[in-house]
Amino acid sequence: MGGSIKTAMVVLWFTVTLVVAFGSSVLKNKVQGLERRLAAINTSIQKDIDEIHVLKAQWSQYNTPERLRKLAHEQLSLESAKPEQIINYSALHFNYEDNDVPSAVRTDKKSLTTLVKAEVKKK
Amino acid sequence: MGFNVSFSKRKDEKFYLPGQEIRISRRTITTKSYTTENDNVLTCRQRTWFILGCFVAVYLVLCVRVTYVCLGNGINIDTAVSEINESDIFRFKNPVKRADITDRNGEIIATSLPVVNLYANPKHIKNPKDVAEKLNEIFPEIPYEELEKKLSKKGTFVYLKRQLSPNQQVQVNNLGVPGLEFENCEKRIYPHHNLFAHVLGGTNTDNVGIAGIEQSMNDRLTTSTKPLHLSLDLGIQNQIRDELIAGVKQFSAASASAILMDVKTGQIVAMTTVPDYNPNNDTNPNAPEHFNFATKGIYEAGSVFKVFNTALSLESGKVKTTDRFDTSHAVTLRGIKVTDPHGSHGMLTPEDILVESSNVGSTLEVIRVGKKFQRKFLQSINMDKALTEFELPELAKPWFLSEKNWSDASMATISFGYGVSSTPLHIISAFSAIVNGGMYHQPTLLSNNKHKGKRIVSQKTSDSMRTLLRAVVTRGTGRRANVEGYQVMGKTGTADKLNENGRGYNHNKSISTFISAFPQSDPKYALLVVVDDPKGSKETFGHTEAGWNAVPITKNIITAVAPQLNIKADFDLERQKSIVDAAYKVKK
Repeated sequence: MGGSIKTAMVVLWFTVTLVVAFGSSVLKNKVQGLERRLAAINTSIQKDIDEIHVLKAQWSQYNTPERLRKLAHEQLSLESAKPEQIINYSALHFNYEDNDVPSAVRTDKKSLTTLVKAEVKKK
Repeated sequence: MGFNVSFSKRKDEKFYLPGQEIRISRRTITTKSYTTENDNVLTCRQRTWFILGCFVAVYLVLCVRVTYVCLGNGINIDTAVSEINESDIFRFKNPVKRADITDRNGEIIATSLPVVNLYANPKHIKNPKDVAEKLNEIFPEIPYEELEKKLSKKGTFVYLKRQLSPNQQVQVNNLGVPGLEFENCEKRIYPHHNLFAHVLGGTNTDNVGIAGIEQSMNDRLTTSTKPLHLSLDLGIQNQIRDELIAGVKQFSAASASAILMDVKTGQIVAMTTVPDYNPNNDTNPNAPEHFNFATKGIYEAGSVFKVFNTALSLESGKVKTTDRFDTSHAVTLRGIKVTDPHGSHGMLTPEDILVESSNVGSTLEVIRVGKKFQRKFLQSINMDKALTEFELPELAKPWFLSEKNWSDASMATISFGYGVSSTPLHIISAFSAIVNGGMYHQPTLLSNNKHKGKRIVSQKTSDSMRTLLRAVVTRGTGRRANVEGYQVMGKTGTADKLNENGRGYNHNKSISTFISAFPQSDPKYALLVVVDDPKGSKETFGHTEAGWNAVPITKNIITAVAPQLNIKADFDLERQKSIVDAAYKVKK
């Protein structure tokens, strides 16, 4: 009877040891895999940061005022704003409620009307 | 016979294995034959079982936990993440060590790019001539002889080329020559080329600041990678530079400078001098275009000083805006005779003195105030010292007479801008204080530097000065800067240049200055334009005074930048309606 218990205990001991060893191994493997993945992601992020830094410098070079002004003039026929182009809404004296609103303005008629009313009220 | 062991009290048994003779038979563990020896054995066995049980229990716990972690959701990610120490988090490195410099809107105006230096270990170069020939094809700017000499040296390290472009690096790599190595470094880049050249300065090959803000803020730029925000505005700076270049060309001037300052904070929005240079290229730091006239050029500003003279006269309380001065006769003081170059003007109020730019009138004003008060006032607006708190290293100390040499004659000449030399930065800082309500703010290039300011004139004097300066633009020498809707105010100044030997004046060469601010009702910005040695032309009818060159340049600048600075023109409603009408009719 005592011998069989002893044997059972030894078997249990070995089984448990094996399970723990296997479990630890799996866990370690899993963690190592995650660490490798994390390192790869971090490296990738760092690389992206480096590239973004260079791109920012390049973007800044593309955004020189001279170049933008030239492009705006050539592609969009835009010129720099003049002082007289900044006016109050109340100075726009065509009737917003009627249909004689210029087509460019008509699309945003509702918000314009609100603004004009506010302006008139302020005056 | 040999060694014989016998246990006399025990029955002899047969033994087959060594040690069997001391094995305890089950028969001996009985109550009858109980001994102390048998008790120890029992205790030992129990302890063994107990320890075994403990081990098994611990292993079982571990086993369950490992199984749970491996197969189930044993780890709560959120809890695990929250338990991570700050020090364990991966820190992403800035690719460069030197911080960027940005304008006030966050636009990059100076940055660094990671590049490599090429060096050689001559010991490992087997055929220096061959390698030198190959490298010469990639770097034609380095003579073949120089490369060969370097590659044939006895040492183990020699720089061949610094700050290679990525293309050059690939080409060198493709050579596959052992002994050629790369070293990581960085290169300073100025994406807007000449635009901020004088303000930013530059760095040397080791990326250490050697001029401009790069030099003065070197520690800040190398200890933190967070961008350094300046108060400059990219768009405004570009607009002003363009106008200056056009002005220099139109008036055949030697150079021109401009500063735009926020009068309420002292922040510099734009600062430029032309001709300038491209800091991306290796240039000679001693070349004339490297000279930052705006902060380092000291000169006699001429009639611009009448602004300070009138302000100090009003502030003293001895002169009132309604006072009248007889300027029909020249004033003689200690051997010098003060006259008005364009003839006498008769009785003038302080406003008329500024409008007509009368030297005699200015002298009469300061005579009433006295030289002590004049000197003290000019000291209060820092005309006697370098503006060392300003962030650029290129600063100059004004030329300011000692108290001993401050004679009655110098008091008179200083009242109209001769006898004291200062920089454009000094002039615009003092002018801003006079028009902003009387508070002097230290000029600054940093967007977060807010100087409290010190009072130099009263609000009343400042209000009076604004009215007087507006009159100069509506009916005086600044008429050509009267941009509709912006209530521009200012004062012109034209001063003969000193001869190159420093003795006497050259009446054929002058420096024109126009200092202005806008809008008069609530000044927001001050603008200083200085044109060095402008020439007369058909358009100016041969005139070289500031009213013909610096003033129209100022008008062009204000017209272009005021809308960008979000300053609304003060057209009345009827005028606005007529503008809309005109634009709408044209479109129709």
